[in-house]
Amino acid sequence: MVDYTALAPVGILVVTAAVVLLAGLVVSQKKILGYITLVGLLVSLGLVLANWNIHVIFDGAPFYGAIVVDPFAQIFNAMFLTVGVLVCIASLKAYGDHPRQDEFYSLMLLATVGMMVVAISKDMLTLFIGFELASMATYAMAGFDKKDPKSIEAALKYFLIGGLSSSLIVFGMSYIYGLTGATHIDAIAAAFAATPGLASTPAALLAITMLIAGFGFKMAFVPFHMWAPDTYEGAPSIVSALLAAGSKKMGFAAAFRIFIVGLVAMKVDWYIAFTILAVLTMTVGNILAVVQTSVKRMLAYSSIAHAGYIAIVFVIVSYYPAPDVAVAHAIAGGLMHAFSHALGKAGAFIAVAAIGYMILSKDGKVDDPNHIDNYDGLGKRAPITAFLFALLLCSLAGIPPLFGFTSKFVLFLASIEAGLLGLAIICVLNSALSVYYYAKVVMRMYWGEPKGEAFIESPTYTFALAIAVIVLIVLFAMPFVTPGDSVYIWAETAAKAVLPALEV
Amino acid sequence: MIPLQYYLLLAGILFAIGAYGIMTLSNGIRLLMCVELMLNSANMNLVAFSTHTNDASGQVFALFSIALAAAEAAVGFAIILMVYRLRAEIDIENVNLLRW
Repeated sequence: MVDYTALAPVGILVVTAAVVLLAGLVVSQKKILGYITLVGLLVSLGLVLANWNIHVIFDGAPFYGAIVVDPFAQIFNAMFLTVGVLVCIASLKAYGDHPRQDEFYSLMLLATVGMMVVAISKDMLTLFIGFELASMATYAMAGFDKKDPKSIEAALKYFLIGGLSSSLIVFGMSYIYGLTGATHIDAIAAAFAATPGLASTPAALLAITMLIAGFGFKMAFVPFHMWAPDTYEGAPSIVSALLAAGSKKMGFAAAFRIFIVGLVAMKVDWYIAFTILAVLTMTVGNILAVVQTSVKRMLAYSSIAHAGYIAIVFVIVSYYPAPDVAVAHAIAGGLMHAFSHALGKAGAFIAVAAIGYMILSKDGKVDDPNHIDNYDGLGKRAPITAFLFALLLCSLAGIPPLFGFTSKFVLFLASIEAGLLGLAIICVLNSALSVYYYAKVVMRMYWGEPKGEAFIESPTYTFALAIAVIVLIVLFAMPFVTPGDSVYIWAETAAKAVLPALEV
Repeated sequence: MIPLQYYLLLAGILFAIGAYGIMTLSNGIRLLMCVELMLNSANMNLVAFSTHTNDASGQVFALFSIALAAAEAAVGFAIILMVYRLRAEIDIENVNLLRW
């Protein structure tokens, strides 16, 4: 008898999504559906944490190895579920009176399911299905404010670019399948290793170009990023939180599996591509973030810059001829940075949602509630929200004592350790540049002139922000309190799960 | 038996037509059709490779991909319908509230 408990977190979410959708038809008090969603997410997260294990806890034998729950998948699952919990708490407030909130919650649950399926997939087919499930749910969510032209525009752009990226991915996958005759990622790696000439055929180059472009759209690498700022700005703020923190990290989960495991034989081909993409992405993202006047759009560009930092993992992995300690450190750093960025960015977008809500409900009609001018003096008008928002921005900027510092430190250190000093310098300079625009928001909040009287802060939003900040601080403090069981150890075991050849 | 290259060539041409359409057209429905064309060219590749190597997994992949494309089209039409209700047109050149 096969033990399926490792798949229970995904199953619970699917059941919850169905229950919420069906209950929405009969329940008159729809507010309760949000709490059902929250309970489903928390139970699922609890199961992931309870089964937390440094070994593969489900090897996918009944699915021919297509579904594998290894430490890598566990870290990503925990990340997606934490983001889901944060977004769910925030939407209790944001959509608490919305007549169609049942649809919102079930879409959010299905998006989370899709992301988790990507994380546990070891087969291109399941990976693509999960990818599409998450994408389709988020297309609909981006346009959830149907009366708001910006939201619809965000959904339209996101959908068209998302459809394009899906078709590029599946076209690339079809060529990989044609070359190797396999869809399982390990089998693809084995086929490439068995036939050395295969990796340099034109068909393989075409496939890898398509896959880089396809996943590049999802991860919003420059020059595939044009949709991201528009979508993140136009979509409802809490949906932007899910997009930036969940959907984008799903792209990384898929790309880690496909490139680092499946196509590792072709790393010579993607070394240059990813070097250029990573440097361009972080530089362009940071420079454009500096000039933004909308805080939400600034966060969107900073999200692009962070994708650039995580992309250096691919550069380091492909730089080495054989797997090495530095490679393990790089993947571990990438995972940690994905986690810290997911928490920080989800929190920051929720803070934007909270502040926008307060401004709209107090100051009445304003052109753009996310404009930086409206953030003047928030430290006095909404002290708790402003404080938590400032802490989240510090984490994104990489200032201790928050987890954003640890993850950036490990990631950049791995780059130095790998001998890619130039890349590390570019990263650090970019990081320094990013402090400018984060600090600008904090300055305006604390030293700007308040534009009106104090706000009434919503406890629901504050609670979600507080959770994000507490998790970031706990993860930062962990290596000092329990050195043998810290997040770094988990990330490193996950790195070894990705690359079994790593003997560290 | 038709050689594999012909299928790949046809799929490549379909893909190129789709990509060209995405870059040049501005009508929402046409863009959606172009995306479908690109997705289906990949399906054609999958089936061609699958028949060529006598391995069924490619055809299974293609079946799933067709289902996903249909679902994606449904979401896409819903979004385009919302654009139409708001603006009484689906020309995406005019959907330009958000820019940097």
